[in-house]
Amino acid sequence: MLKAILYKEWIKLRWYALLAVLVTTGVAAYCLLRMDRAVTLRGAGHIWEVMVLKNAIFIDYLQFVPLLAGVLTALVQFMPEMQRKCLKLTLHLPCSQQRMVFTMLAAGVLVLVACFAVNVLVMLAYLTTVLPAGLTLNILSAAAPWYLAGLAGYLLTAWVCLEPTWRVRVAGLLVGALVVRVYFLSAVPHAYDSFLPWLAVFTLALSLLSWLSVTRFKAGRQD
Amino acid sequence: MTRLSRFFLYFILVVLAVWQLPWCYAFLTVKAAPQRFVMYSSLLGDFLLTGYEEGIGLTRHDTQGRSYTEQEVDSLLPMFYMRQLVADERFPDSLFGQPVSPREVQQTSFNFRMRPSAVNAPASGIYFLLESRPKRVELQMPDDAFRFTDEGVEFIVMETNTLDAGKSTRFTEALLAKGFRFPPRRVAGNPTTMKEYDNGYLLLDADGRLFHFKRVAGQPYVKALPLPEGVEARHVFVTEFRDHKLLGFLVDSRHRLHVVRADGSIAETGIPAYDPERDDFTIFGNQFDWTVRVASPGMTHYYALRADDYSLLKTFDMPVDGGEIPGLSFTSPYDQYVRPRF
Repeated sequence: MLKAILYKEWIKLRWYALLAVLVTTGVAAYCLLRMDRAVTLRGAGHIWEVMVLKNAIFIDYLQFVPLLAGVLTALVQFMPEMQRKCLKLTLHLPCSQQRMVFTMLAAGVLVLVACFAVNVLVMLAYLTTVLPAGLTLNILSAAAPWYLAGLAGYLLTAWVCLEPTWRVRVAGLLVGALVVRVYFLSAVPHAYDSFLPWLAVFTLALSLLSWLSVTRFKAGRQD
Repeated sequence: MTRLSRFFLYFILVVLAVWQLPWCYAFLTVKAAPQRFVMYSSLLGDFLLTGYEEGIGLTRHDTQGRSYTEQEVDSLLPMFYMRQLVADERFPDSLFGQPVSPREVQQTSFNFRMRPSAVNAPASGIYFLLESRPKRVELQMPDDAFRFTDEGVEFIVMETNTLDAGKSTRFTEALLAKGFRFPPRRVAGNPTTMKEYDNGYLLLDADGRLFHFKRVAGQPYVKALPLPEGVEARHVFVTEFRDHKLLGFLVDSRHRLHVVRADGSIAETGIPAYDPERDDFTIFGNQFDWTVRVASPGMTHYYALRADDYSLLKTFDMPVDGGEIPGLSFTSPYDQYVRPRF
């Protein structure tokens, strides 16, 4: 049954997943292209200097792209579910409701992780040719909270989408906006290093909120 | 599961409240703290406080409360207001029995600032070693960068992102020959061309011993700088002041500030305590005295030091109304890390 759920989610997300990979990787590639242009025009030394002395990371355009990808993933996955009342049918399937809900969320998370992994691989492929390991890590460490924000954005939007009442949806949006702010407090390389494992656990725990919405949906809460 | 989910939502709400409510309150009730500029005057033998007071305007007075006019302050701080005194044709020919000239003032005056956020910051581990005896007058950034490993120092050619094995070996051997033990605990330097000359780096090796490391005519220059008895170095800062008298500053494990002279000798200053990880630190120095500001949380300390032997002349403490509201914060003015803290 869970395989069937995963397949159902894949059917919903496959074209969006392709678009997300193309767009996010496109933005990452554009950042690298700008960096490569700077290398050509001003020399690799200039890039190293501004990275070391001014904490430049050259991928600033990418900052909110994973978040946007996460939010859109949740909208693509759960908006039709709620509009067509498919969730009601899903919850009547002969399978644990919790397992089904979390499998649906896992499908979205896996799509995003795959998308972000492609981004990172593209960045690694270029950065390792022009930068030493330390400076490549600088860039990836600055991007790590942005990618976690993508997952947080997905799980928080899923929570809001699955919520049956507009009153709690609006409150959820406000809470979500404040939670997401935590991921964008600094773009200094390695600033999040010690906090990142805790932030990752917290991000995954955000999936619990969707279960709250589903229980309210099951209880028949309405505006 | 429902109970756990509800508990997690309450946890998020509490965290957001403890984080955002104090921030909102501080944002809405923020008031400009009165700023005072404090300098020691050797002519007066006291600190001069210049600042703006609500309802009064600009005030200039000493720690005893005596008020001074703008012209009097200029005359009492001739090293600091040298240009104004020269423009007014009031710059003295001599001070304390020594002849002084505007050029000499320019050569011997300096300021130095170190913020805790610069000390408590992640480091990339990549450094640039400038040529300290360049053929041209202006300094130039090198074509390579270096990093320390557990075994030595590695130079990487930036254009090709490849290791310069020969140079790495040469510089590693020079360091090892002077007894340096890798990896260093601290690496301090100012790798910029926006200065008149280059003093290279001050290094604390794995055993906490101090070394001066620079590049002279393409060759490694390494000098071990013996620390005074009982001094355990924690932080080092390189300086490149115009008078070439100093290599830098050193702070030991007991928060004592030491001066590293150009000849490598180390002298303790009269400053009772300075913690680079917590205090904002500023020096305005001239050939006669230094005004040192150590801004700790809740209190700003001002110290006047003699410029020749760094002994303490006078102190002045000014309480700071932090006005901070207790709460959760993820960032801090004292470091560049993001992590929760109360």
